[in-house]
Amino acid sequence: MRKLLITGIAGGQGRLVAKMAMRARPGSEPWQVVGVDRQKWPSAPDGVVVHQFDMRKRRFEDVFRHERPEAVVHLAFVRHFRADLATRHEVNVEGTKHLLEHCAEYGVRQLVVLSSSYVYGALPTNERYMTEEHPLNASRNFPEMRDLCEVEGLVSAFLWRYPEIATCVIRPVSTLGHSVHSAIGSYMRMAMVPTIMGFNPMMQFIHEEDVAEAMMVALDRKVRGIFNVAGPGAVPLKRALKEMGRQRISIPDPFAHLLIRTLFNLNIYQFPSGAIDFIKYPCTVRDERFRAATGFKPRHSLAEAFATMAISPH
Amino acid sequence: MLGSLLELASSITGGISDSVSELSRLVATLPDEIAGKVDRIPADLNEYGYDPWGYSPKAMKRFIIPSAYLYRYYFRCRTTGLENLPQGRMLLIGNHAGQMAFDGAMITAACVLEANPPRLVRGMGEYWLGTLPYMSVLLDRTGSVVGTRQTCVDMLRHGECVMAFPEGVRGMNKVYADAYKLMEFGLGFMRLALETDTPIVPVSVVGSEEQNPGLADLKGVGHLLGMPSFPVTLTFPWLGPLGMLPLPVRYHIEFGKPMRFEGHAEDEDDSIQAKVDQVKAAISAQLARGRAARKSIFF
Repeated sequence: MRKLLITGIAGGQGRLVAKMAMRARPGSEPWQVVGVDRQKWPSAPDGVVVHQFDMRKRRFEDVFRHERPEAVVHLAFVRHFRADLATRHEVNVEGTKHLLEHCAEYGVRQLVVLSSSYVYGALPTNERYMTEEHPLNASRNFPEMRDLCEVEGLVSAFLWRYPEIATCVIRPVSTLGHSVHSAIGSYMRMAMVPTIMGFNPMMQFIHEEDVAEAMMVALDRKVRGIFNVAGPGAVPLKRALKEMGRQRISIPDPFAHLLIRTLFNLNIYQFPSGAIDFIKYPCTVRDERFRAATGFKPRHSLAEAFATMAISPH
Repeated sequence: MLGSLLELASSITGGISDSVSELSRLVATLPDEIAGKVDRIPADLNEYGYDPWGYSPKAMKRFIIPSAYLYRYYFRCRTTGLENLPQGRMLLIGNHAGQMAFDGAMITAACVLEANPPRLVRGMGEYWLGTLPYMSVLLDRTGSVVGTRQTCVDMLRHGECVMAFPEGVRGMNKVYADAYKLMEFGLGFMRLALETDTPIVPVSVVGSEEQNPGLADLKGVGHLLGMPSFPVTLTFPWLGPLGMLPLPVRYHIEFGKPMRFEGHAEDEDDSIQAKVDQVKAAISAQLARGRAARKSIFF
């Protein structure tokens, strides 16, 4: 049986991908799933081997040496801002660098990396519905996103250096789901969600299962390249919050930066001030390239994605 | 004698009160009329009532009301040529004047109130508008966007009616001595039209030049305030924000016959310029016609 290695398997997205990969899909065999994660996955399904350690450890290479995975889905990123920047950078950038080296050395045939449409950054001058050619501007006003942009740089260099490996970068829009712990997910789960007075950008959302499905489709079709994954549509941020039943508080812009930066520095509030641009300006993407390459279509509507955020699991 | 005077007086006051009640009836029915027209605008709405660029008919029905009142009762727009609007995608190219973009708002109102079927006009806003609170939301909900090239191409491919003023702020903030002189046109709109095979509808607006005559443009002050210009007019900045109010001039808007061009979007500037000049000439001719037809700037 073909073997699939999932990094960050114990996270919400990792569990979803693992479960999907173990099922037979139209036109492709089920995978044998191996995972790496620092966390435990106590209720892992039978047949899934989870190697529990930090990816920064040397044991990471042993997994490749012993398991010889044919494909890798790379999800082991720190996506929240609770960790300090150095750790975040180490896990995200150094971790990816080691992973790429191991993929090249141990004969991996396929690699799918989960990035984010946030790498484009939210700028007032953004095109609506950016294509994959749009420059990655996130780190301009949002230094906390620099590591993800660096990861993308590493992976795209790898993509061109190893044409025999089907490397695929997926850039999904804001992902909603029961198990989403991303910055935007945490933001939207707050009891009182701050928004910026006078701003209400269009935002795209996608259900977490559709993101997992997109990665599976990328594996099935063995696509190479960088792809936006856009979900079922866009609504203004405040409308989305209303649909999720959230209370909002509108803060005037200059005030918001000061307030949020202070709270972030005091470690009270895990939303860095650079992220404010994402609730002010549009960062929307188009996914024609991915649809053309894979025939992917999101299965869940916006309403279904919002519904996953209705009850807070915390 | 006294009786006939009283009769005359009562007929005058009666006439006035009749026309006042007629006017107030019209004024009161305008929101309903707008709602009916907005509902007929073809739009690609999602389950929450927004199109991909943030246009919302529900918001439009509210936001366009001030424009509609200005259109009908303040600028008393006289609009011709709406039957020239083609179906599907088009580029509306117009002259830009008057310090505040009432011309854009009036063209939009004309296309909603008087075109058949009503059309949604997609304005291409300046970058800085997107950074202003409320303004960015207003732009989005009424169908406009911050005008970037790719967004414009996307909208045209989607069959939208995109409006652009190739003079940009050069036209809007010119001094009154240059009234009705078309400033230099950018070439971008023609390249877009060629790339997307879009017909160009030349639109002329007569009246906007007189709404707020510019005496000078203090670009340096504008720069300090983060605005593309800082116009000095008869009333601004002397009267503060009130000084931005336009005079009640009468607008004459003409939509010309669609112009179709052939060629490549990447052609040399000279060949693009020649095509741009044809559009400019068409707008000039319409402007001359419009100015000749009006009796005074207020009628």
